[in-house]
Amino acid sequence: MTVDPNAATQGFPGPGRARPGPHPARYLVPALVAAAVALALGVYGKVHDPAGTAFNLAGFSSTGAVKSWLATAAMFFALVQLVSAAMLYGRLPGPAWSGRLHRWSGRAAFLIAVPVAVHCLYALGYQTYETRVMWHSLLGCFFFGAFSAKMLLLRSERLPGWLLPVVGGLVFAVLTIIWLTSALWFFRTFGVTT
Amino acid sequence: MKRPGPLLTLLAGLVLGLFLLTLNATTGTKTASSSYEEKSPSPAPARSAASTAPTPAPSPSRVPAADADYAGRTDDDAAAIAVTVRDDKAIAYYCDGRAEESWLRGDVEDDGTLRLTGQHGAKLDGTLRDGKRVEGTVTVGGGRHAFSADRATKPSGLWRATATVRSAKIDGGWIVLKDGTQVGILTRDGKPSPAPAIDPETGAVTVYGQQLTARPATP
Repeated sequence: MTVDPNAATQGFPGPGRARPGPHPARYLVPALVAAAVALALGVYGKVHDPAGTAFNLAGFSSTGAVKSWLATAAMFFALVQLVSAAMLYGRLPGPAWSGRLHRWSGRAAFLIAVPVAVHCLYALGYQTYETRVMWHSLLGCFFFGAFSAKMLLLRSERLPGWLLPVVGGLVFAVLTIIWLTSALWFFRTFGVTT
Repeated sequence: MKRPGPLLTLLAGLVLGLFLLTLNATTGTKTASSSYEEKSPSPAPARSAASTAPTPAPSPSRVPAADADYAGRTDDDAAAIAVTVRDDKAIAYYCDGRAEESWLRGDVEDDGTLRLTGQHGAKLDGTLRDGKRVEGTVTVGGGRHAFSADRATKPSGLWRATATVRSAKIDGGWIVLKDGTQVGILTRDGKPSPAPAIDPETGAVTVYGQQLTARPATP
């Protein structure tokens, strides 16, 4: 074994010693997929001409408002994720269906976030003209990569116990920053409008 | 295959994303503008609004174009374009939001046609359609683009800010589209770059650490 299994997910080059454990592909595949997803989104956002306008939902004053509310809904489900994950790991008392709650709130958060990201990438693109915008663009792409990694890691067994909570926590933290740099900014700038 | 759930989740997200992207690419612009049409005050036809124009017509047959703002995109979606008409004069701004921009000026003819010109051979030929939109072609940097710009109401329209910040000459132009999207370029000592967003209510914008105020651009 030439690659330390931890190297791929931790991002630090570790000493290349062989250790009994899961096959490195279990880490490498999710990490590579994550990198590919994040990079592909970023490249698309950068190369593609921002369209400026895009599909809008009826009943909202602007796409900004639509996106901010969708993002806020995703953030709500992400908080449910945090709580239900704590239940699954026994840190909080939880009902028997906390596993199902965790799965479905995660799906909801992800599927709600997708339209927001599509609009961002299609209409606005990857931008760096402001610190807020730069972090939002960067982490927006990173989020979907990290989320893909989290989904793929779920399918592997015999992972170190700390790995899923760390990756899950990372996904949650990144989503929080994305929300702070977009929806919260929108609500503070334009007011809490629909 | 164990635990197909996570994969299905990813696939569902991918399918949803691609679906929305297709929807955007095919119908996006049209849907966005049609859903806003009810909001803009029904624009009076150019001919009838002419009577309120401040400059009296020199001859009875002469019908000046109504003062109005127009904003839209080129048909190929490469850039945004805005036209402002005041007292039979028009100013237009073509901007791709990254590197290419052009300010164009000229007169509005009695029949509602515009022939505007800008620096480096930039040219705009357009026609006012009942004061509702401007259609035509714009030639900037050797590229010719057809465009259609719908009547815009504040805060959408054309904004400009000029200033000197730390002895650098700053010239910013913004087109605010109906959905609030901004397309703008900031030129600093002749070098264009994407512009930071302006506050569409006040025109306030922070440029290189300095607070500027963009104003609606008029001929």
